[in-house]
Amino acid sequence: MSPVWMVRRIGFYVLITVVLAFFAVPMLWLASAPFDAKPGLGPRWPDWTLSNVSATFDHPFTLSSLVNSLILCSIATVVTTVLAALAAYALSRVRMPGRDLLLYLLLLLSSVVTGTAAMVPIFVMMLQLGLINSQFGTALVIAGGMLPAAIFILKDFMDAVPRSYEESARVFGASPRQVLSHVVLPVARPGVATIFVWAFVNAWGNFLLPFLLLRDVGRQPAAVLLRTLYDEGGSANLRVIPVFSLLYSIPVVVLYLFVSKRYGFRFHGGVKS
Amino acid sequence: MANRLDEGIDSAGLGVRRGLAFVAPALVLIGVFLVFPALWTLYIGITNYQLTGPAAANPRVVGLDNVLTAVHDPLFTNSVWLTALFVLFSAVIGQNALGFGLAWLLRSANPWLRRTIEGLVLLSWILPGTVVAFLWFAVLSRDTGTLGLLLGSPETSWLVEYPMTSLIIFNVWRGTAFSMLLYTSALAAVPPSQLETARLVGASGWQTVRDVVFPHIRGHVLTNTLLISLWTANDFTPFLLTSGGPNHRSEVLPVLIYRQALEGGELGYASAMSLLLLLGNLVIALVYLRLLRRRA
Amino acid sequence: MAGITIAGLSTVYPNGVRAVDALDLDILDGELFALLGPSGCGKTTLLRTIAGLEGASEGDVSIGSRVVTRLQPGDRRVAMVFQDYALFPHMTVAENIAYPLRVRGVAKSVQQETAVRTAGGLSLGALLDRRPGQLSGGQQQRAALARAVAASAEVLLLDEPLSNLDARLRLEARTFLKKLQRELELTTVFVTHDQAEALALADRIAVMDAGRIRQLGTPREVFQRPADTFVANFIGSTPMNLVPRGSEIIGVRPEYLRPAAEGLFTGSVSIVENLGVTSLVTLDCGEDQIGYVVPEDEEPAIGTVVAVDAAPARVLRYDKETGLLVR
Repeated sequence: MSPVWMVRRIGFYVLITVVLAFFAVPMLWLASAPFDAKPGLGPRWPDWTLSNVSATFDHPFTLSSLVNSLILCSIATVVTTVLAALAAYALSRVRMPGRDLLLYLLLLLSSVVTGTAAMVPIFVMMLQLGLINSQFGTALVIAGGMLPAAIFILKDFMDAVPRSYEESARVFGASPRQVLSHVVLPVARPGVATIFVWAFVNAWGNFLLPFLLLRDVGRQPAAVLLRTLYDEGGSANLRVIPVFSLLYSIPVVVLYLFVSKRYGFRFHGGVKS
Repeated sequence: MANRLDEGIDSAGLGVRRGLAFVAPALVLIGVFLVFPALWTLYIGITNYQLTGPAAANPRVVGLDNVLTAVHDPLFTNSVWLTALFVLFSAVIGQNALGFGLAWLLRSANPWLRRTIEGLVLLSWILPGTVVAFLWFAVLSRDTGTLGLLLGSPETSWLVEYPMTSLIIFNVWRGTAFSMLLYTSALAAVPPSQLETARLVGASGWQTVRDVVFPHIRGHVLTNTLLISLWTANDFTPFLLTSGGPNHRSEVLPVLIYRQALEGGELGYASAMSLLLLLGNLVIALVYLRLLRRRA
Repeated sequence: MAGITIAGLSTVYPNGVRAVDALDLDILDGELFALLGPSGCGKTTLLRTIAGLEGASEGDVSIGSRVVTRLQPGDRRVAMVFQDYALFPHMTVAENIAYPLRVRGVAKSVQQETAVRTAGGLSLGALLDRRPGQLSGGQQQRAALARAVAASAEVLLLDEPLSNLDARLRLEARTFLKKLQRELELTTVFVTHDQAEALALADRIAVMDAGRIRQLGTPREVFQRPADTFVANFIGSTPMNLVPRGSEIIGVRPEYLRPAAEGLFTGSVSIVENLGVTSLVTLDCGEDQIGYVVPEDEEPAIGTVVAVDAAPARVLRYDKETGLLVR
C-alpha cells in the first residue's frame, strides 16, 4: 500500500461522503418534521409526537386531495398505458405507410412541446371548452403529454420481443386477437408495467397542469394542495405539511421499489421527464 | 405486383387497417392536447388576447407586436438570460459532471455503498416536485435551515439573497439521477478489454477516461446534454421555490410565462413568449436529431 | 400427409429485392427435404412463404392438392419450428406443446393428454411443468419439435433447427431428428446453411443462391457431381480443388485425390493439417494450391514433391465462362 494509494483512497471516501451528504441532507426534514411536536422549516431532532398525523387527517382537504390525486392519476395512467401499448405494438409490427415520419414527429413532439411551453393555449382551450375544474379533462391533458414518450419507450420494448413468438402462434392458427392476448401481452408485460409505473409517478407528481386547470380546491390533487397549504392565510401550515408530504410521497417510493425489485431498474431512454 | 395477401405481411398478422386503428386513439389524444395547443400558440401569440376585460371577448390580431415587445422587454431578456444560466450551470455542467462522476466512481465501489448512493440520488429524482420544494426550504430557509446552521450563518435567507445560485444547486440535486443512470449504462457498454489494455500500459484514470471511455460514450454525452437542457429550460419547479422572486431575480422563462398569463392575464403576450420557448426547444431537438442521424 | 408443389413462385420485398425468384420445386410426400445455401440466398424466405408468413408476389404454393397461396398461415395445416424455437416464455412446456390445440378450442383434458403423449415420445415427460427458460438448449429444441408434432399438420417446416445447439449436441439432435421424421413419415422441409447437416439428414437437397435453385438432388448427387462451381465450392467439408485449364475449370475433391507416380497435379508439400483419422495436405503447384486427403500416419514430409491423381469419373470439368458442369 503506497502512500499515493492511501491518499487516493482517502480522497475517494471524502468525495463520496460529500456527495452522500449532499443528497441525504435535504431528506432529513422528511424524516424528522412529521414527528416533531414543533415542526419548522428545518430539520432538527424531533420532540417525538404523532399529533401531527391527527392534525393532518383533521384538515378538511388532505384526504380528499389524495383521493383526487388517485382519480387523476389512475385515469391518466390507464389511458396512457393502454393507448401507448396499442400504438407501440402496431408501430413496431405493421409496415404502415408513413410510419417512420410519424415516429420522427412523435420523438420531436415529446421533447419540444412541453406542458410549460404550451400552458397558455392548453389553459385557453380548456377554458373555452368549459373543462376547467374537470378532473377527467385534466387527466386527458396529462395523458396527451405523456403519450409520445410512452409510445417511444414501449416501442423499444415491443421491438425487443422476438417476432417468431407471434409468427409461431399464427402458424398454429391463432387469430390476431389470440396472438395479442396469448402471446404479446404476457411477453411484453415488463414493458407495460414499466410504462404504467412511469406514467403513474409522472402524473402523481405533476403540479403545473392541475394547478392551471383545477381551480376548485375540492378537486385539486395533493400536489396542488401541498402548495396551497404553504401559502394559504399568509403562512405555511407546518402542522400538516410534513405529514402530508410524507403521505403523498409514499406511493411513488413504493412503486419505485416494486419496479426495481420485480424487474430491476433498467434504463430506458427518457423514462421520467 | 401488389402483395396478394391483404393482411399478414407483418409478423403480427394485424394488417395495415387494424394497425392504423390501433394507433389512431393515441394520435387523436396527442393531436388534441399537444399538437393543437402548440399550433394554437402561434395564433394566440399574434393577438392581444387577455384573461379578462374587453380583449378577452374579442381578441384583436396585433401581428408580430407581441414578439417585438418581448424582445425589447427587460423582464423577458432578463428571463432569457436567467434561463440560459440555469441550463448552463445546473444541467450542462452540474448534472452532467456529477452524473458522470458518480457513474465512474461507483463502478468499482462496493455494492452496498453503490446501492445507497444510487438509491438517494434516485429518490431525489422521483419525489414529487412540491414535496421536494419543502425539502429545500428546510435546507435554505433562514434561522432554522440546514445550510445556515452548517455554515454558521443562520440569519442568511439563501433563497432571497442568492436565488439563482440556490436554484442551480437545487436542480443539480434534483436532476443528476438521469445523467447518472445514462452514464452508468453507457459505461457498462465500454469493452472491459479496452479498459484493461489502458491499465496494462499504465494510463492514469484521467487518461483512461479521455482516450478509452470518452470515444465510446460521445453519443451518450450528446443525448444526455440535450435532454437535460430541454427539461431544465422547461422546468416549472423554480416557481415552487422562489416564484421568480425576489424582484424577478430568479424568474426563468416558464415562471415568467405563468405569471404573465395567469397572474397578469396577458394571454396573447405570454403566448408569444411561449412561442419563443417552443422555438428554442425545437432548435435544440432538431440539432440533436441531426447529430443523431449523422452518427447513424 | 401431402407433398408440396411450388410453381413460378416469387417473393419480392417492398425494397424491390427478389428474395425468391420464379422458383419451381416439387417436394414429395414424406420426404425429408433440405433448403441449403449461404445466408441471404432466399432459403428462409422460401420456407416462410410456404408457411404463409411472407406473401407470395407471383406463383403458387400447393400442399397436397390444395392451393394455399392465399391462405393465412393458420389455415395451411403446416407446423413450424423457428430458429430460436419461439417457445412462449410465460407458458410451461405442457402449455407450449398443447398450444396448437388450445387455439383450436380443443377441450383442456385432450390438450393435457396430447401434451403428455407427445412429450413422452420426445423424452420430455419429466419436464412438462418447467418453463422454457429452465430447459437446456437441446430440451428446448425438442419441446419446440413436440409442439410442432402436436399440431398434427401435414407439413413440418424447420428453420435452422440445429444451429442454436453446440457442436456435440448437434450430432445427437441430428440423429434424433432423422429418426423422428422416419417414424412420423411427415413431409419435412428444413433450412440450413450447414452443408454437412444437409448431406447427413436430407433425402434430397436444393442448393439455393440469389433466390434460385442451383442444384436439386440427393446428397450423393450433390456431393459427387456439383452442377456448377458455386455448388462445388459450397458442398464438402474441405473445399473442392478448382483449377483453370484452358477454357475449362477442373474440379476434384481432395478426398478423391491419391498420390501416384504421375497424375493430374504435381507440387511440393507446403502444409499438413490434421483432421483426425485423416490429414489434409496442401501442395504448391505453381500458382495453384491443391489439397488432398491422406489417411493418418501416411502424411508426407514438408517439402516433398508429390504427384496426385484421381479416378477419371471423379474429375469434373466446368465451363470457365458459365461455371456450369460440362462433364
